Amino acid sequence: MGLEARATLRRPFAIGRRGFVVLAIVLCAVAALVVLDAPFRALLPQRGGFAIVRAFFAAMFHPAIGYETAVPAGTPPLFAEALAAARRTVVFAAAAMSLAIVAGLVLGFFASTAWWRDPAVGGAGARRRGRRALAGTVWAATRVLIVGMRSVHELLWAVIFLAAFGLNTASAVLAIAIPYAGTLAKVFSEMIDEAPRDSAIAMQAAGAGAAQAFCFGLLPRALPDMCAYSFYRFECAVRSSAVLGFFGFPTLGYSISAAFENLHYSEVWTYLDVLAVLVVAIEIWSGSLRRRFVA
Amino acid sequence: MTPRVEALHRRRPRSRLVRWSMLALLAIAVWSWTSGDIDVADLLSARRLENLRSFLRDDAQPYPFHDHPFAWSTLASWAGGLLASRGISGSIQTLAISVVAITLSAIGAAFLAPLAARNLAASRPFAPYSGPARAVAGRERARAAAWRALTTATRAVLVFLRAIPEYIWAFLFLAMLGPSAWPAVLALGIHNAGILGKLGAETVENLEAAPLRSLRWLGSSRLAIALFAVAPLALTRFLLYFFYRFETCVREATVLGLLGVVSLGYWIQDARARHFYDEMLFFVVLGALIVLAGDVLSAVARAFLRRAT
Repeated sequence: MGLEARATLRRPFAIGRRGFVVLAIVLCAVAALVVLDAPFRALLPQRGGFAIVRAFFAAMFHPAIGYETAVPAGTPPLFAEALAAARRTVVFAAAAMSLAIVAGLVLGFFASTAWWRDPAVGGAGARRRGRRALAGTVWAATRVLIVGMRSVHELLWAVIFLAAFGLNTASAVLAIAIPYAGTLAKVFSEMIDEAPRDSAIAMQAAGAGAAQAFCFGLLPRALPDMCAYSFYRFECAVRSSAVLGFFGFPTLGYSISAAFENLHYSEVWTYLDVLAVLVVAIEIWSGSLRRRFVA
Repeated sequence: MTPRVEALHRRRPRSRLVRWSMLALLAIAVWSWTSGDIDVADLLSARRLENLRSFLRDDAQPYPFHDHPFAWSTLASWAGGLLASRGISGSIQTLAISVVAITLSAIGAAFLAPLAARNLAASRPFAPYSGPARAVAGRERARAAAWRALTTATRAVLVFLRAIPEYIWAFLFLAMLGPSAWPAVLALGIHNAGILGKLGAETVENLEAAPLRSLRWLGSSRLAIALFAVAPLALTRFLLYFFYRFETCVREATVLGLLGVVSLGYWIQDARARHFYDEMLFFVVLGALIVLAGDVLSAVARAFLRRAT
């Protein structure tokens, strides 16, 4: 009672932490709007923009079935083209994820504290002083590497690779794989550290070695979350892979930008719908898997 | 002892969906590398490697070092010049775009999420007990169907908003609105409204039902429950999601500049077009630092919120 009274006394405006955060957000947003200096007038379509808006949204309700203009003989039908672009979108995403998961597991292992630093779960490094220093160095270096990998956006990696190699499909895969590996490593390491440790401790008490306890006691407890998260990132990778098309890689983004620049708005909507269906299908798949994993 | 372990092993929870999905994913991964769409050999060809070598030797070097030996002071004055001319203003623009965008999307989501939550937007919100199947009047059934249609439609809109990536939204808006910061703001806002709306709706659906139900029993209206019970209960969660999405907003705001909006990405694209790759790399690194700053800000805010009661 006394404590409560003092708490109210110390807080003249009873808005609480959340109220404070909301207030800060609103103030920041207003300040940002001022800094942005974007006139509200610019929200209206520019000259000629109205025609584009009208044509574009009119096309929303009848996506193209065939090409809007004549195409050279032998061009595959629009729908086949859209499906092929969707297939390449998935191919790039899957290849990137297969790299990112392997790299993410390795880096995530080195970035987790459970193995390196916690004597209870008992990595070999945690016990002896000399090894502990080495383990700490490896841990810190991995963290820095992970931050560097994931702070650069996949499109910027793509831009760098374009400058370094020129247009090449494998560099698109690398561009997605690098930041995704960083993100997966970060999340994997957190999941390993947050996994319940009772089984690992019990196994060690029963005489298992540190490696055994880690692989069969700790890792399986984190595995469902790790699988669910990887699948979610696959969903994101499909979107990223589609966007890479804007830089000339043969995914859905390439078809969208080409159709838009040719003013073929109905074709744009066909590609947008294919992309939406693809993403939603993967989302439903991953959602149903996640429920199995987490429940 | 052994038979019991075997019996336990046989009765372990298994899911056909999980097993087949894992196999399918493995197959997709193998197929992706063997389909011939990804040309690894080309990346390692002599021509590409020569490109890489000349890129690292000449293009990636800050230009003062092309004819001067390395010195920290030269590097500092080069970087300072880039920062003063474009770097700082670009960084501020990037942050401003993401702050306005995430706030807009939160406002949008605050309206859409309650409409997509199946417990709140139902013909009988928080009905205490649905009871045994009883003869439902035709009007009642129509009302239920109408509410279901509303939640389904809202969810469909949210799905579409988030299924299209920010970059594509920005590309479309830029063509319609012309160059200003708005296409980037709207693109980020729309995509994230779809995500925050979905997460918000899930938060509302996962709220503990008992207190809300008892309010309903005591005669509160739907609006009153939404404003004075659901909103305060869901706020902390929603704010956590808000900051989590803010991080991605900063990342994406940097990149949307590639399309021609004046954020850091604009200067990356500009340097790239002029083949000043040293400047391009400088702005990429600066962008990474801004992203890092956004991550730290968001982590601090989330830690602050977690301690909120």
